[in-house]
Amino acid sequence: MPGDWPHLRDIRKTSTFRLTLALGGAATVGVLLLLLIIYSLTERELNDRSDRILRTEIARLAALPEADLPGEIDKSSATSVSGLNHFGLLSPGGRWLAGDMGASPPLVIGHPYERDDGPDVRGPLRILAARTSGGALLMVGRDVRPIVDLRGRMVEILVLSGLFVAPLLLAAGFAVSLGPLRRVDRLQRVALEIGSGRLAARMPIEGRGDELDLFAGTVNRMIGEVERTVDQVKSVTDAIAHDLRTPLTRVRNQLYRASRDPDMAPADVVRIEAAMADLDLVLARFAALLRISELEASGRRQGFATSRIDRLLDAVVELYGPLAEERDVALRWDGAEPVHLYCDEKLIFEAFSNLVDNAIKFAPEGGCVSIRLAKDDGFVAIEVCDNGPGIPMDQLQAVLRRYDRGVASAAVPGSGLGLSVVAAIVHLHHFALELLPAEPGLRARIVAPVEAQQAR
Amino acid sequence: MASILVIEDDAETAREIADELRVHGHTVHAEADGQNGLERALREPFDAITLDRMLPGLDGLAVVARLRAAGIVTPVLMISALGDVDARIDGLRAGGDDYLIKPFAPDEMAMRVEVLLRRRRQLETAAAMLRGGPVEMDLIRREVRVDGDPVRLLHMEFRLLEFLMRNAGEIVTRQIIFERVWGYYFDPGANLINVHIARLRKKIDRPGHASLIATVKGEGYRFDAG
Repeated sequence: MPGDWPHLRDIRKTSTFRLTLALGGAATVGVLLLLLIIYSLTERELNDRSDRILRTEIARLAALPEADLPGEIDKSSATSVSGLNHFGLLSPGGRWLAGDMGASPPLVIGHPYERDDGPDVRGPLRILAARTSGGALLMVGRDVRPIVDLRGRMVEILVLSGLFVAPLLLAAGFAVSLGPLRRVDRLQRVALEIGSGRLAARMPIEGRGDELDLFAGTVNRMIGEVERTVDQVKSVTDAIAHDLRTPLTRVRNQLYRASRDPDMAPADVVRIEAAMADLDLVLARFAALLRISELEASGRRQGFATSRIDRLLDAVVELYGPLAEERDVALRWDGAEPVHLYCDEKLIFEAFSNLVDNAIKFAPEGGCVSIRLAKDDGFVAIEVCDNGPGIPMDQLQAVLRRYDRGVASAAVPGSGLGLSVVAAIVHLHHFALELLPAEPGLRARIVAPVEAQQAR
Repeated sequence: MASILVIEDDAETAREIADELRVHGHTVHAEADGQNGLERALREPFDAITLDRMLPGLDGLAVVARLRAAGIVTPVLMISALGDVDARIDGLRAGGDDYLIKPFAPDEMAMRVEVLLRRRRQLETAAAMLRGGPVEMDLIRREVRVDGDPVRLLHMEFRLLEFLMRNAGEIVTRQIIFERVWGYYFDPGANLINVHIARLRKKIDRPGHASLIATVKGEGYRFDAG
């Protein structure tokens, strides 16, 4: 139904949703890269600054006499203004001599590196070590906690923003996709309606001038052209049928009067009666043709009311039972629970009658025709099934066209209009007519939507 | 012999109707427009009226509606070029007793007029029992006897026999039978009615006697009381 919420899986498949996710994903990756660049540049700048300070301190201490170093180092450790600088002096044999950096030997000599002894010992340090002329190891360290904190904050920002942005992106994707999906859904429904033969239906145009409107406009123009052509063909056919009916009826009437002339020879009367029978057949076909046109053209709802379909089928079986019996065809109908449909009872009876009549005609001698009425939550289906020759798959739709009877029906009398009449009646009710192979035979189904169970 | 008013504006159709009804022995009076037809039908008694639906002056539907409003119950056969089911329903709802679509075969028109005339006569007599030859139909108890022997008929068989007996001696077409007995207006095909007639014959015909229901080739059936 238009206005219903589309399924989540449908939304997920839409181009709009995918495009929104792709754009959102690209924007997120861009933001990540930007943050990474900012962090890298900031980290490098802070490290450069630390390294400059470390080198200056190392140069200052290395310039002092070796004997003064322990005292100067202890003094520097104690008097570091920022509290960020730390010092250490190890003997050439690795023995601790002075400073506040602990007794760990340096990992690298001559290049700054980072060491973290844990929060209980000392924070992360950037350390530069150098060997004095006497072979002792001189170490200067700088607390780089601000850089580490910055890194942690960056990761925190990324995780939190990710947690926030991801659902936001999904929500935006759903929200943006919903409108177009509903429009596509409406277009699809109309397309199905047109496909089922209602050429008067038109695709809805929202007036936004977007690609969906352009598409709908193009399809509407196309369907308009198809409808015009079909109408022209039909009206020519109908005009021929209509215009020929009156003169043919007059010819029949003249023949009828002639047949009653007492001077007419009996042999001539027989010939006239044969001609009248042929004319009656032609007139019946014209009448059926015009009837289909009337049904197709009208939106008549005057005869619509809620009817018991099971009772209608009882009546159809009662009407056609003797015919089936005469042809030695078993007509099976087990009855059904009460099923109500909002329909034109007389027309639906005519449609059922046509299907049963057809099935009896095509069932072989000793064969069977079964009638079923099935009710589901979504639909009501009336099925007439025979075990005759059936219709080849490629001709199943063709037989619904006027005069098309299929190859297996050449030996069976009939105008070829029965199924077309059924199709027109079914179409008028907005029901569906399905012809399916029964292997062997044909299964003709009239399917009414569940809404048809309530009066409209 | 009955007196019939033909209200028809098309001269040729009016002539066809009048000729056919005269062949059947009826007296025909013709009017060519709705207003004059209505005034005449209100002024003079007729046994039946054939009424064109589309008339100059006053539409056929309005004519029949005013006749009914004035208490005139004369049977009316509506004749119209409008063949769709809605048009038929409109015609019958306005007060018409039967509906015939143009172009029509005059014999069928005459048959429909005959059916209307007989129905009127039967309504006047309101018989509870129909008798035709050896057949007796008790319409109240819904029983049928042939030569005094009870015959079991199904519901639709009973209605079919009743219709044929009510029109005994007259030909009725398969289409009229289908419309009057089953109440549907589509073409059921000739064979369907033939089969129902054949079943009815099996139940009511007596061995060694001609069938009570005669087939009139090319036209229909006739109940012959013998």
